[in-house]
Amino acid sequence: MINQNINIALIGNPNTGKTSVFNQLTGLNQQVGNYPGITVEKKIGFCKLPNNVKGNILDLPGTYSLNASSIDENVVIELLLNKNDKLYPDVAIVVTEVENLKRNLLLFTQIKDLEIPTILVINMADRMEYKGITLDIPYLEEHLKTKIALISSRKGYGIEELKNLIVSYKSIPTEACLNASSIAPEYFNSLRKAFPNQLLYKLWLVITQDVNFLNLERKEIQGTFTKSHSDLKRLQQKETIKRYQFINDVLKEGLQVDASIAKDFRSKLDRALTHKVWGYVIFFAILFLIFQSIFEWSKIPMDFIDSTFASLSALTNSELPAGVLTNLISQGIIPGIGGILIFIPQIAFLFLFISILEESGYMSRVVFLMDKIMRNFGLSGKSVVPLISGTACAIPAIMATRNIENWKERLITILVTPFTTCSARLPVYAIIISLVIPDTYVLGILNLQGLTLMLLYLLGFGMAIFSAYILNIILKIKSKTFFVVEMPNYKLPLFKNVALNVVEKTKAFVFGAGKIILAISIVLWFMASYGPGKKFKNAEAIQLSKIENAGISQDELDNKVAAYKLENSYIGIMGKTIEPAISPLGYDWKIGIAIISSFAAREVFVGTLATIYSVGSTGNDDTIKNKMAAEVNPVTGKKIFNFASGISLLLFYAFALQCASTIAITKKETNSWKWPLGQLIFMSTFAYIVALVTYQILK
Amino acid sequence: MLQEIVAFAALGVAVVFLIKKFFFKKKKKDKSCGGDDCGCH
Repeated sequence: MINQNINIALIGNPNTGKTSVFNQLTGLNQQVGNYPGITVEKKIGFCKLPNNVKGNILDLPGTYSLNASSIDENVVIELLLNKNDKLYPDVAIVVTEVENLKRNLLLFTQIKDLEIPTILVINMADRMEYKGITLDIPYLEEHLKTKIALISSRKGYGIEELKNLIVSYKSIPTEACLNASSIAPEYFNSLRKAFPNQLLYKLWLVITQDVNFLNLERKEIQGTFTKSHSDLKRLQQKETIKRYQFINDVLKEGLQVDASIAKDFRSKLDRALTHKVWGYVIFFAILFLIFQSIFEWSKIPMDFIDSTFASLSALTNSELPAGVLTNLISQGIIPGIGGILIFIPQIAFLFLFISILEESGYMSRVVFLMDKIMRNFGLSGKSVVPLISGTACAIPAIMATRNIENWKERLITILVTPFTTCSARLPVYAIIISLVIPDTYVLGILNLQGLTLMLLYLLGFGMAIFSAYILNIILKIKSKTFFVVEMPNYKLPLFKNVALNVVEKTKAFVFGAGKIILAISIVLWFMASYGPGKKFKNAEAIQLSKIENAGISQDELDNKVAAYKLENSYIGIMGKTIEPAISPLGYDWKIGIAIISSFAAREVFVGTLATIYSVGSTGNDDTIKNKMAAEVNPVTGKKIFNFASGISLLLFYAFALQCASTIAITKKETNSWKWPLGQLIFMSTFAYIVALVTYQILK
Repeated sequence: MLQEIVAFAALGVAVVFLIKKFFFKKKKKDKSCGGDDCGCH
């Protein structure tokens, strides 16, 4: 029986293991990242505590201080200032990391000033011995006026002690641990007198931040207490210095580091991985290995899935009673779904590598490396996180731009992020590369197909930063964002976290896109199997009259009738209408239909072609890849997927926006149709021109 | 006949699903991309 419900706010700097603590307390499997910006909005979980107490655990976005400057940081302040909020915490848990205690404690001292019972969690305590760190817990508790839980969220110890501390939160002192108002005594005294019923530090936050709370509106304080922007900044700086002086004094006694017993391998490794030359060499070598592996290791499972679906299609056709439904299943649904499922091995491998890089701590070194490059293009390192996370999907990547305080810089990052190669592009790239790039080795070790895939990823990233450079000139950004990236410790990736991430991302890929692909396959099959007018109805008679006395076999006749019907079906008529616009790029009307349908989701491209090529091919158990490889242009007699049209198509997909959801999220984040429409027009036009020029040169 | 009824019913469901998905998007309560689909499909 539950006796009591309490709200618990989980607060901390990015990368202190806050989300891991959340998972340990709630048992939830939230994604845990090892680079900043994972939690951009608050998340709630529930925890059963001792004495039949139920805890509502609120995981707030990581923030370095209460001097908020970005949207996600404001989420923290707005909650902590509003006692009427139903989620207002009864107790706050500030999560810190033992190796970065000094910096982490700044936020702790600010939370203490809000007079909320606050527990200090010192995470990653398992590394103390390794780093030669000893803590005087009673001394720290006394001077920080709190209770401390020493935990390791990775190893799961200290969590029970933390739960006991949470339950006894009423015994935790609520008084501030230092008097920050001493930075300007007269000013704060008059403020206290004017609003005797309000908490002084809350008043200070209302003055300095863009937030309101309770019935106190900013305008009430304006006039008498509002200072100039520069005066406020100066006072904030004094406040920060005052807090750090206090923290230094406390840690001088409470924390000892004996470097002689530390076994620090990290600094040496950091020097190599972030080296101005070797850092990039290592990064590109890792990228190269990833893309080689994606192609090499996926071959066998992909071929297996492809041939299984082809056999299933043939089996369905032969075993089920003849009719419309049987044709829909064997020629529409099975090829359409098969067209997406064959990419599961490649998607799984991609996310396996990304998860290992994130979990190990290497991704933060990549962010640091990229920061140096980004500065040359007018962006700060804060833009790197969205660009790198865009390799999974542009939607969360665009949401992650909320970390960027400078509006114009955020806008540029939103606009260029869709150039980063997302996982939805991978199926398109993989199938076209396997059709037009030979499966050979350069210099005996470099697989040409893997190399092409890697170049496409680099091209997307290169185009993103080049576009940022152009936009930076056009939009004339003057102010710069300062970027602080924390270098987390290297960790052996936890199998559970990596496996969960791979399974979740692959599931999202299959079930998210799968439903759309299933629906589109059904619609496409009907549109390809029915048509208006006499040409479609009398296809067989027309073909028979054309080939009278030509002496062709029944199979050849069936193929000609099927092809003629397809051209005169609803989808054939639509495709033929748009064909003049895409034929200069080397595409036929079937590719045109696939491009249009893939606007719903890029991976629909392969499913669409699989469905179109299957219509009319009764009993054919050929794989999708073989069907695409066999497609011939009836006019020129050349293969549809040749080197020129293939490269043109790859470049089209590298640059085109082709994602309805990205347009929707850009509209939401910029609060205007102007930017997403501009983005769509620019990217589509650019993709078209590049594809056109490429085909005309290579053909 | 039965095959036609089922096939056309599937077509109806598919069309309604696509219209709802792209023209009447429901608002998500939790916009996090944590362990769920990010809604990009």
